[in-house]
Amino acid sequence: MTTPTYDAIVIGAGHNGLAAATTLARKGKSVCVIEKNETAGGMARNTTLAGGIQVPEIAHLLYNLHPKVTKELGLGSARAPLELRKLASVSLSEDGNHAIIRDGKAEMVDGRPHPEAAPFAELMRRLTLFAGLLGQLSTKSPPSFEGGLTSLNALTELGGLAKLGLDLKRIGKKDMREFLRVLLSNAYDLILDDLEDSPLAGALAADAVRGAYAGPRSPGTVFTLMYRMGQGGGAQLPMGGMGAVSAAFETAARAAGAEILTGYGVARVLVENDHAAGVVLEDGTRISARAVLSNTGPMPAMMLAGAKHYDVEAVRRMRNQRCKGSAAKVNLVLNGTPEFTGHNTDLAASRLLIAPSATYVERAFNPAKYGEMPENPVIEAIIPSLTDPTLVKDGRHVISAVVTSVPYGLEGGWNDAARERLAAITIATLEKYAPGIGALVIEKQVLSPACIEARTGAPGGHWHHAEMGIDQILTVRPANGMAHYRFGPEGYYLCGAGAHPGGDVTGLAGRNSAMQLLKDGVL
Amino acid sequence: MGQHDRYDAIVAGAGHNGLTTACYLAKAGLRVLVVEKNDWIGGAAVSRSLHEGWTYSNCSYVCSLLRREIVRDLELPKYGLQVIPYEGGASFSSDGGYFAYMSDHDALRREISRHSAHDADAYDRFSQTVIRQCRFIRPFLLRNAPDPTSLKPRDIGELLFLIKQAHGLGKKELGETLRFWSMSIGDFLDEHFENDLIKAHIAGAGIIGTGLGVYSPGTAYVLLHHYMGDVDGAIGAWGFARGGMGAISNALGACFEEAGGTIVTGSGVDRFLVSNGRVTGVALENGDEYRTPLVASNMDVKRTFLEHTEQQHLPTDFLKAVKRFKIRGSSGKLNIALDALPEFPAAPKRAPFLRGDLHCAESLNELERAYDDWKEGRWSQNPYFDMLIPSQIDPTMAPPGKHMMTVFVQYAPYDLEVGGVRAGTNWNGQTRGAFADCVFDKLEQACPDIRSKTLHAEIRTPWDIEQEVGLTEGNIFQGELTFDQLLFNRPVPGYAQYDTPIDGMYIVGSSAHPGGGVMAAPGANAAKEILRNIGKSNAMTGYAA
Amino acid sequence: MTKHVPIGLVETPFQPRLEALSTAKSWTNWAGYVSPATLDTVEFEYFAIRNQTTLFDISPMHKYRISGPDALEVVNRLVTRDVAKLRDGRVGYVLWCDEEGMVIDDGTMFRYSETDFRLCCQEPMYTWLLDTAWGFDAEIADESQDIAALSLQGPTSFSLLQDAGLGDVAEMKPFDWREIEPDLWVSRTGFTGDLGYELWVPNGNALDLWDRLWASGSHWGLKAIGFEALNICRIEAGFVAAGFDFQPVHTAMRLRRGRSPLELGFAKMVDFTKGHFNGRRALLKQRQTGLRYHLRKIDIGGFKPADGALIYYKKKNEVGHVTSGVWSPTTKRNIALAEFKAPFGEGITDDLWAEVYVNEEGQWDKRLVPVTIEDKPFFINSRARATPPRPF
Repeated sequence: MTTPTYDAIVIGAGHNGLAAATTLARKGKSVCVIEKNETAGGMARNTTLAGGIQVPEIAHLLYNLHPKVTKELGLGSARAPLELRKLASVSLSEDGNHAIIRDGKAEMVDGRPHPEAAPFAELMRRLTLFAGLLGQLSTKSPPSFEGGLTSLNALTELGGLAKLGLDLKRIGKKDMREFLRVLLSNAYDLILDDLEDSPLAGALAADAVRGAYAGPRSPGTVFTLMYRMGQGGGAQLPMGGMGAVSAAFETAARAAGAEILTGYGVARVLVENDHAAGVVLEDGTRISARAVLSNTGPMPAMMLAGAKHYDVEAVRRMRNQRCKGSAAKVNLVLNGTPEFTGHNTDLAASRLLIAPSATYVERAFNPAKYGEMPENPVIEAIIPSLTDPTLVKDGRHVISAVVTSVPYGLEGGWNDAARERLAAITIATLEKYAPGIGALVIEKQVLSPACIEARTGAPGGHWHHAEMGIDQILTVRPANGMAHYRFGPEGYYLCGAGAHPGGDVTGLAGRNSAMQLLKDGVL
Repeated sequence: MGQHDRYDAIVAGAGHNGLTTACYLAKAGLRVLVVEKNDWIGGAAVSRSLHEGWTYSNCSYVCSLLRREIVRDLELPKYGLQVIPYEGGASFSSDGGYFAYMSDHDALRREISRHSAHDADAYDRFSQTVIRQCRFIRPFLLRNAPDPTSLKPRDIGELLFLIKQAHGLGKKELGETLRFWSMSIGDFLDEHFENDLIKAHIAGAGIIGTGLGVYSPGTAYVLLHHYMGDVDGAIGAWGFARGGMGAISNALGACFEEAGGTIVTGSGVDRFLVSNGRVTGVALENGDEYRTPLVASNMDVKRTFLEHTEQQHLPTDFLKAVKRFKIRGSSGKLNIALDALPEFPAAPKRAPFLRGDLHCAESLNELERAYDDWKEGRWSQNPYFDMLIPSQIDPTMAPPGKHMMTVFVQYAPYDLEVGGVRAGTNWNGQTRGAFADCVFDKLEQACPDIRSKTLHAEIRTPWDIEQEVGLTEGNIFQGELTFDQLLFNRPVPGYAQYDTPIDGMYIVGSSAHPGGGVMAAPGANAAKEILRNIGKSNAMTGYAA
Repeated sequence: MTKHVPIGLVETPFQPRLEALSTAKSWTNWAGYVSPATLDTVEFEYFAIRNQTTLFDISPMHKYRISGPDALEVVNRLVTRDVAKLRDGRVGYVLWCDEEGMVIDDGTMFRYSETDFRLCCQEPMYTWLLDTAWGFDAEIADESQDIAALSLQGPTSFSLLQDAGLGDVAEMKPFDWREIEPDLWVSRTGFTGDLGYELWVPNGNALDLWDRLWASGSHWGLKAIGFEALNICRIEAGFVAAGFDFQPVHTAMRLRRGRSPLELGFAKMVDFTKGHFNGRRALLKQRQTGLRYHLRKIDIGGFKPADGALIYYKKKNEVGHVTSGVWSPTTKRNIALAEFKAPFGEGITDDLWAEVYVNEEGQWDKRLVPVTIEDKPFFINSRARATPPRPF
């Protein structure tokens, strides 16, 4: 038998793939990352629109990049520079009475304190506290209790859980009870128990369901809200666009010694004797390795190895996985600076939310359930060029809009006309808050969930590769019996957002999977 | 000034749970008084004669969940309770077809295969999962919910029992259980079945009585509230109480009176009397006052504390928690006196499955849209209903040759929206008529001659249910069955063991663990808790103890 | 789509003949079909199996066709043994497992060719086969309603077939299967451990087949039989039956009722070298960590059939129970299949006792009788394997 070329191959140079590669390479393993696109970065890339203007193609803000990952990979250090700017959030109101959320505090657009500043602050305090508790579970493989309660492995896991239990006790009986009450609850009730239904409530409701296939009345959306708040929930704008984030991950990986091969698609994963043995590229080249990690969605990862290497039940679980994307991306190039009602340019540089009430957010999701286009969508928009002068070109700005409640399975399918309609709906919705913005649009890029799937391979175009419902997290992410990154044949690992702890640019799934691989002694 | 008297315990509200508590307390030797605002007992388990010759189970209408341990303990059959299982059920489609649920397994396989060969085997897998979940949950129904923040040995004991049961499932089943408990009934059914009609037929059980849609996570669990019961040990089977659901309450009432208890009807509680943090008695609307150191409130937690307790006796946090307790009403009902059995043109003549629960829902999306209407304060334009004709099996429900039909309707809002205003008072003659018309239109999909055979129809909206029965917002479960309101969260975290901030005062209705359905478990569990707290823990030796 | 389905038991194509022959009027439910428990008496039917030849209607068995370019890959993914080693025109006994290595069902796999198989089994399996074939180029068809089948078993079965004009079966070895005439497939298989054949025809030809066999039958003592007599023979032959000796895991409502093929004594039917198959990883793990149960053939002292009896070690510790037990009229032994908790039954085989309750006309008596583990089937006869078969 010949010696394998690499210790490990990582399929897909999204940020998690790069985090996995870096983690392995830093332990002295030889790693090759193979990416089908010409550039690394997956959903966190920039794209260039006509006129040469740079746009964050899909994802546009960072919330959740985990400090452990930042530290271990050296992101933001001289080795892999990355500069982030905090953005305030402005939840727009048609009458110009916008609500501003800055550093977790609510204000009004004119600088007055928000009338609900106090209950909002208390709500944020609880959510941040709870998010921090849950966050403890994100940096390790989820507990499995493999081998019963007496095994060493289980004892270590129990230790971790005991710590969580202890911390839970430490927050006091009152907060602990509240935590256990709201954990599986719905965002709508949680928010409206304490706040009037207004743009402030709408902002939280929208944050709870962005990228999710759910309305805020769906139980489980408090969890998704807390997940998003793992690092406090503040939005950060990467200078140079999301591409700069990927660039930092890529630089870190190379610095650690990983090779990155772009422009090569992987046709399949080689399995020999129930053991991952390398990959075959689309051009037929075989590359051998002792382990393979896939940063694709769970189902594509399974198909790369072949369904025949999986038990029928495992395949069935993959087929049943909920991964209907519901977020589209609309990038508009503007021939000038847009003006928002009751708003100065400073605030236009914020994270702009169109979610005037929690009820609005719930209503917006209704049509998506039936494969229909939302007439009044929820939008999260930024104009990065107002913060980052390197992105302005010839006085043009880009408005980068995440439009949610847009169904992956649109009735009639996603064609040019449908994308054109989505652009029109997006512009019309923005017009209500920034009259005249439509006239400034000189170019449109519309990425439906179907387009996002085609570009990134994410199943259903889902931002988190798989819905972050309670039925698909922790020990059942990506599926029951597969929660430990080990993915069927020995030496085959899932390292993407479909694995624990899930989506967002956290870097954790990649990092954790590499750690699990090392712990399993595969290499 | 009314009459004064002193009792060992007073039960406020003669619903089935209140009566259950009353029975256990009386059997333990306590002098117990039950007070009831209506002129009859039973709460939402009643048989009413509203059209001469007919008996309506005009709230709850079928029986399965009533715990067999309690039935045995209290010897309810001795007091006239007989539960008759009914057979099968069906869903009628708009194209003149139907899917029938049959109790015979092989016939059911054939019937499912008629719609989808794939789904016939899938049904077995579905029932295996559901029965396993039922088997898992049933031991918890007659136990207290542990307080996870408590270090009391009893709470730790209950918590360990929970952990032991969960651990006993094994790794894989534990994962499946976690998923099941957090899934939507829609997703759960989509995982098993391909046929829309079959999915819609089963899905109803996940939304009945809830403020959730078929695709809301947590509704797979609600399904268990319709499957975890049994009739004579057949898990998931349902039956009619002979003589209507009032037979259950009447049997409980008779049992209670034979044990020496007293029931006073016709005047409800005005307020609970509290002094120095202790309950001291009950003042009735008619001015009568009774003294007692023990009060068991069968009213829901909102009604108990927001309407009949002076708020200065309650801690702010508790009051806040009671206020935010979700109890949205979502169901309406039609009780219909029929001149003759309606025709079901789609079904074979005298098909046995017509004696079961009948529906007209055709797809999960249809049900989800019905929910969207409710969220906006409208009744579902295309409603889901659970319709039965008990008089086919129970001859006491209608005069010979005539029939009685019960139609449970999902969804109908409590705070109906009219002209941009949402209020319970928007339910008036006109809106109720329009609501009934909408249901009749849909009923015609199954039985086109229904209107011509209707002699009388009682229309029940959540508003009516609140006004008559006293269930806040007309919620049939005395509080929604979502995770933030189950187990140690029900009704209020920290007060999930039937106790309240007022000494001597208990919540014994479905607002408490394990929740709604004519189960009598909250009432029995509460009685056990009360007896234990007054040092009579050994007074009960029965099956439910 | 048919308008309405029948409620209650339905009939196989052979029911008109069975109905006419039934003097016992003793019917059971077999997968929703009316099936004879006995037609005459158990004794006469049993001895007809061992001494003459018998017809048993096996139409209620589920039959599935797996065909297409990936058919072999699908069946090999399904079952534990290597079907690649099964030649065309051969039949194999197979078991298949869930992901935890617990037996879903057992049955017979008929190989037409590398791209065409028929699976015959007790439990409905259509959806499981669809799921197994997901992602593969193979078709699953449920033939259960289309194919009728008769089991012709007994020492004179070959002679009868010869008289019925089906003498071509002479060259068929055990587990061979071929199309003897257009639309008439014959396999040399059965559930009795004796010489015997199974005949498969489209439903429409069922009664003709019956009549043809019946017409040649009287000379060879042909008798139609019910399930009860057959059950004695299958226990004598040492065959396990689903629902008796193991619980098909998909039908068990309670947890941990499943058993692995290793625990049922079928280690030889599990091929770990053929690549992945369902439950392989779990079975490998079980082989490492140890079996929980052993299903064994046992001989029980005394003369009282011990079906359902508990088994004790040193007359004290309960270590197992009888899963199928009968008095064997041929071997004159009290035989059974029994499940033991490991290590009993395999590591510890001595000092085992069965607890038998005996009711003699209203007087109950509890007896502890010795249990002896047997390795070989109780009934073995060389005529079962002789090719060409002898006349009787």
